[in-house]
Amino acid sequence: MEDKDKFDRHGYWRSLNELADQPEFKENLGREFPETVLEGLAGLSRRSFLGLMGASLALAGLAGCRKPVEKIIPYVTPPEEIIPGVANYYATTMPMGTEAYGVIVECHEGRPTKIEGNPRHPATRGAANAWILASILGLYDPDRSPKILHKGLEKNWNDFVAYWRELDKKYSATGGEGLAILTEPFSSPSLFNALQMFRRRFPKTLVKSWNPVNYNTSISGLENIAQHNLKAIYNFDKAKVILSLDADFLAAEPDSLAAAADFVKGRKVDSPLDSMNRLYVVESNYSLTGAMADHRLRLSPDHLSGFIRALAGELIRRGININLEPASQAPSAFAFDETWIKVLAEDLSTHKGEGLIRVGGTHSPELGLAVYHLNRALGNIGKTVTYYEARDTFDDNLAPEDFLAKGTGDAITTLILLGVNPVYASTGTNDLSSALAKIENTIHFGEYFNETAEHCTWHIPAAHYLESWGDVRAADGIAGVIQPMIAPLYDGRSAVELWNLLATANDETGYEIVRRTWAGILPESEFENRWRQILHDGLLDNSASKPMEINFAGVDKIIINDSPATTSGKLNLVVVPDTSVFDGRFANSSWLQELPDPITKLAWDNAALVSIATAKNLNLQNGDMVRIDDSDTAVPIWIQPGISENTVVMNLGYGRTRAGRIGTGVGFNAYKLRHKKEISLEKTGGRHHFANTQEHGAMEGRAIFREADLEKYRRDPKFAEKMVEHPPLKSIFKEHSYDQGYQWGMTIDLNSCIGCGACTIACQSENNIPVVGKEQVINGREMHWIRNDRYFVGESDDPRVVIMPMACQHCENAPCESVCPVSATTHDKEGLNVMTYNRCIGTRYCSNNCPYKVRRFNFFNYTKDMPETIKMAQNPDVTVRFRGVMEKCTFCVQRINRGKQAAKKENRTVRDGEIQTACQQACPTKAITFGNILDPDSNVARIKKSDRNYALLAELNVKPRNTYLAKIRTPHPNLENMIDSEKKDKG
Amino acid sequence: MSDVTTKDTAPLHHGEEPLIAGNPSFGEVTDKISRIVERKTPRVWLLALLLTGSLTLVLLGSIGKLVWEGIGIWGLKVPVGWAWDITNFVFWVGIGHAGTLISAILFLMRQRWRTSINRFAEAMTLFAVICALIFPGIHVGRIWIAYYMFPLPNQMGMWPNFRSPLLWDVFAVGTYFTASLLFWYTGLIPDLATLRDRAKNKIRKIIFGILALGWRGGNRQWKHYELAYLILAGISTPLVLSVHSVVSTDFAVSIIPGWHTTIFPPYFVAGAIFSGFAMVMTLSIIARKVFGLENYITVNHLEKMNKIMLLTGMMVGYAYSIEFFMAWYSGNQYEIFTFINRATGPYAWAYWTMITCNVIVPQIFWVKKWRRSLPVMFVASILINIGMWFERFVIIVTSLSRDFLPSSWDYFRPTFWDISTFVGSFGLFLSLFLLFVRYLPIISMAEVKGVLPQADPHFYAHKSHKASEEENK
Repeated sequence: MEDKDKFDRHGYWRSLNELADQPEFKENLGREFPETVLEGLAGLSRRSFLGLMGASLALAGLAGCRKPVEKIIPYVTPPEEIIPGVANYYATTMPMGTEAYGVIVECHEGRPTKIEGNPRHPATRGAANAWILASILGLYDPDRSPKILHKGLEKNWNDFVAYWRELDKKYSATGGEGLAILTEPFSSPSLFNALQMFRRRFPKTLVKSWNPVNYNTSISGLENIAQHNLKAIYNFDKAKVILSLDADFLAAEPDSLAAAADFVKGRKVDSPLDSMNRLYVVESNYSLTGAMADHRLRLSPDHLSGFIRALAGELIRRGININLEPASQAPSAFAFDETWIKVLAEDLSTHKGEGLIRVGGTHSPELGLAVYHLNRALGNIGKTVTYYEARDTFDDNLAPEDFLAKGTGDAITTLILLGVNPVYASTGTNDLSSALAKIENTIHFGEYFNETAEHCTWHIPAAHYLESWGDVRAADGIAGVIQPMIAPLYDGRSAVELWNLLATANDETGYEIVRRTWAGILPESEFENRWRQILHDGLLDNSASKPMEINFAGVDKIIINDSPATTSGKLNLVVVPDTSVFDGRFANSSWLQELPDPITKLAWDNAALVSIATAKNLNLQNGDMVRIDDSDTAVPIWIQPGISENTVVMNLGYGRTRAGRIGTGVGFNAYKLRHKKEISLEKTGGRHHFANTQEHGAMEGRAIFREADLEKYRRDPKFAEKMVEHPPLKSIFKEHSYDQGYQWGMTIDLNSCIGCGACTIACQSENNIPVVGKEQVINGREMHWIRNDRYFVGESDDPRVVIMPMACQHCENAPCESVCPVSATTHDKEGLNVMTYNRCIGTRYCSNNCPYKVRRFNFFNYTKDMPETIKMAQNPDVTVRFRGVMEKCTFCVQRINRGKQAAKKENRTVRDGEIQTACQQACPTKAITFGNILDPDSNVARIKKSDRNYALLAELNVKPRNTYLAKIRTPHPNLENMIDSEKKDKG
Repeated sequence: MSDVTTKDTAPLHHGEEPLIAGNPSFGEVTDKISRIVERKTPRVWLLALLLTGSLTLVLLGSIGKLVWEGIGIWGLKVPVGWAWDITNFVFWVGIGHAGTLISAILFLMRQRWRTSINRFAEAMTLFAVICALIFPGIHVGRIWIAYYMFPLPNQMGMWPNFRSPLLWDVFAVGTYFTASLLFWYTGLIPDLATLRDRAKNKIRKIIFGILALGWRGGNRQWKHYELAYLILAGISTPLVLSVHSVVSTDFAVSIIPGWHTTIFPPYFVAGAIFSGFAMVMTLSIIARKVFGLENYITVNHLEKMNKIMLLTGMMVGYAYSIEFFMAWYSGNQYEIFTFINRATGPYAWAYWTMITCNVIVPQIFWVKKWRRSLPVMFVASILINIGMWFERFVIIVTSLSRDFLPSSWDYFRPTFWDISTFVGSFGLFLSLFLLFVRYLPIISMAEVKGVLPQADPHFYAHKSHKASEEENK
């Protein structure tokens, strides 16, 4: 009866919250790996099962709606009715700090299941990164905060509204004195409106933003000069020579999707006559951008400003006028190669207006200004680098320590923390929790009841972006709307609703607020039509900002100091955001935790990364625990070739103490060490067990990842195919001809692939791939259908990194098929290597016999303990596999069938490009192409004719349907030729 | 019977020692062997059964855990999809080779010394094959539908894939087990009748009566019996060669370097005989001591087995070296790597254990003194069995752990459950063996009597014996 009452009284989602609040869920809290299977059956009672079924069924009619009726216009299919089994697609935008990613959400019966990039949106261009793709899991995360809490007691929204109105009265009288707001930065018309209203009413209130990883730091010097908030747009497609100074623009920096797409566009090689851009990377960590470099210089951070000054010196010597103090010393005085800098300077100076220099966004404003001057002197500003005014953007960064210090003078009596987690992410050892305890009212607004929420008097759960109304501006100013795909699962409120309440004391729905904002943006006469169009498209066309000229009149010559060299015997500490969990906000996403770092291949962990030589000097081995200076916690060592000497790199975002059952206790908190520049290590004698998905990094002289420099490619365009000699491949049997109907095939262009791992997460989301947890990753049982193999090439201490996506190759002569005793894996007539899960008895012979080792076995029942809400994230078109069953990439057979059905209904054949696999769709650089190889006009057939095309392990005569295009690099002829000098391939 | 007093009258062949020492009479043979079955249950036997029975429970518990939790309780991973499970399977099937070889091939070759050891060698074969069959049965991910491997007509329209060597295994091992069982049972019939006749209580009489299938020992029965035995020996002989050849195709037809090789069938058969004899040796040394059968299983018998082990040991040694040669000669970089990796890679310790036990240890049998020394051969036989287990481990695990793409290379480590399942299988094997030695005659009385000198009395001329010898040639 109780369950029934819940449904009757509150409506469906409300009751699901309460379902989610049942003891099983709570019991799971604090467990690191909920989806591991070595625990007893947590039975789902018939009653609660029926309740949930009822909830899901009834929801089918309510898709995307909340009372009152608010119109959401679908992107593709009209919304009149939802056809069960047929997905609907809606456009929305995912905000992330001041960034905004336009996305299309696939919804099944009102239940979002998959996120894809919005092809119209400039920030995603139809692609996505792992964070975007994994945000669907965030929506259904059972650990998201379900209720409003006041001092540990459950309250409802009206209680909070009443409470705020009291405060509002009190503070509006004093102009907001004693009130302080620390928010995450945003770029949103509605939020910015609310902020301005708020400031008008509470002029004395301290309002600041904070991002623990602030990519706006290096541009802030320029912002001060321009007297505007700025955003830089880098046009990598127009650049011929690119220099990255510790800027991981392909993966971590803002707008990386667009950067990656443009960068790769400048490197496309269709024929030997094409030219390519050349990428120089100077960095201390080994980033994905470094892996793409034609020349990579590892440089410890204390030498970076010296490098910039030395480069300026070289350029000045070449007659370029730079408003920058050059290095007093010759380049040889620094720790880097003189030739390197000379070649670089020559390359940059001969490509004026076609060069691009980018410095890491977290570097100091001085370095940012210096690099601006280099770009300006080289004529790159306005061509490859453009600045826009960041409209509707609030990004006034102040670290929480400083914020509180600043605030105590004014005696903060009410502190509002919006989407920030200072207790976890503040730097150093200051315990902010005690500072928070001294403040009378502390209000925390966030998706999770996290480290900070614990120490606040109020906690308001934030709605996920897929549950809320809102709006955003992307980097170039394009405005877009966030529209809900589903009513809030956990009673969360959107940021616009909260800001509106703070600013006006009115409790209004997000829908009303956002429409009101847009009523000011759109002309009144066509508002309804344009509004519908925006909801359909996900963005407002032609709303981009105009490029901005920065007036430097009266600015003195820039002088940057060489950073003081590290004291001898000390090491540099570099902290970088993580490619999986970023600054820690995604720590509770099991998909992202299990996605191995693209370079270290560590999953479920971070480590203190050191180079081989440094490790040798300090007598360290993988897994040794070390204490950094006198800090309380020890961190484990991981030896990463290619990191600059005497440098320790740590990824941020780990070591959460209250992230949820996934993220709590995973890894080590690098924020607490972040303030240190120089450190020393001391072994504690302890050992740490890493989950490393790739034990062996060398190719052992095998032609697996094939690459050449541009010159070699021009001399010998078919070099890739020739790298393996083998006798003619003949079969003693008559082979299938596969010359009828559709014959599916794929190509992966290694020249375009940046190794970001978006394909892995897209596949995981599309194909219901289970998460296995750290222990099982250690046991070598990760389930990813597409993985990225990372190999080191060349010198062992300073190697090149190459990354190769690896999924089922759909061999025509598949070795897996003939050995299966029960015919569970067979070939279909369209050339797909298909799995019949029902038939599989799990002998694992297919996996043993697979030369690519892409088959994945369900060693346990990995979905047994899957929380109810997570089940909603599953794709209903794909079977959830049981234990004891083998699985592997299907080329997204469900998408193929959907495409074929659509074509059949219209009595036509499938058009090229109509069917996209999930990995292909997500790929930011469009490295993956899929289609019918029999159709000579198809993209995939055309690409397969490329000179660079090769089949991996073709010598086994397995005839893979997936082929690779060899990578081409363009090292400068005057610098050491990396490609040919690599004969010695060590690991 | 007792009136046949022809002791010592039959001349021995050219200075040969008698096959059965101590010159027992037929009656003494019957008494000696039957008494083992008929006497009161010895306490030592009960203690031993308690121990092995507990180990059997460990096996059952491990299997239960496996069915309940999944294959993940073992240390398997990608790329090592098979490890101890299939190693144990091949190991036990290999041990199961000696029995039928001794019974069938040596029978056809008129190697009369086999009679002392064939009964329990055959029993050992059966028990080893039972242990072997457990592993492919439980190693599958979904044990409850393992029957999909059998060609059973069904409404699901499913049919096994006859291209898969795993299916060949099902038939090969199944046939081998059936044939071995029949052969063993046929051999038992006259002895069962003897036990029936000697039985002193009703239950015993009934049970052995049923099992003896009405055997009376008449002339005509013997005639039919010996023909049937000969035919069964003829049927079993190719099976000795085929079963391990088929097992070897589990590996040989794959494309994994280190598996994909044509040398496997003879190499596996030689290895199987090698390990089978080693196991017979271990067990017979214990049995002859415990049951006082020194006269029946003489040092001569053991020496002959040692010679076979020396031969087969060199055959596997040859196979090991020819694999290296072929890898080099093929010019195939994956093959070359695989073999260098075996000898120098992370599993080098297993490889060198194998070489030591299988190639170096048997060389001591060149020395006659050691070939006839019980302690030496006992230790050697155990070492050889360890070596042969490692041979399969090396082939399976080292090849899988490092194949084509270095990105997926990984190191396999067994878990508690890998080990407990293997140790448990010894429990089952030994329990079955203990039950056998307690309840059935461990030496074929009828056949041993046939090799006693009295069985070939030569009442008349010396000449006729020579003539019959020539006839035989």
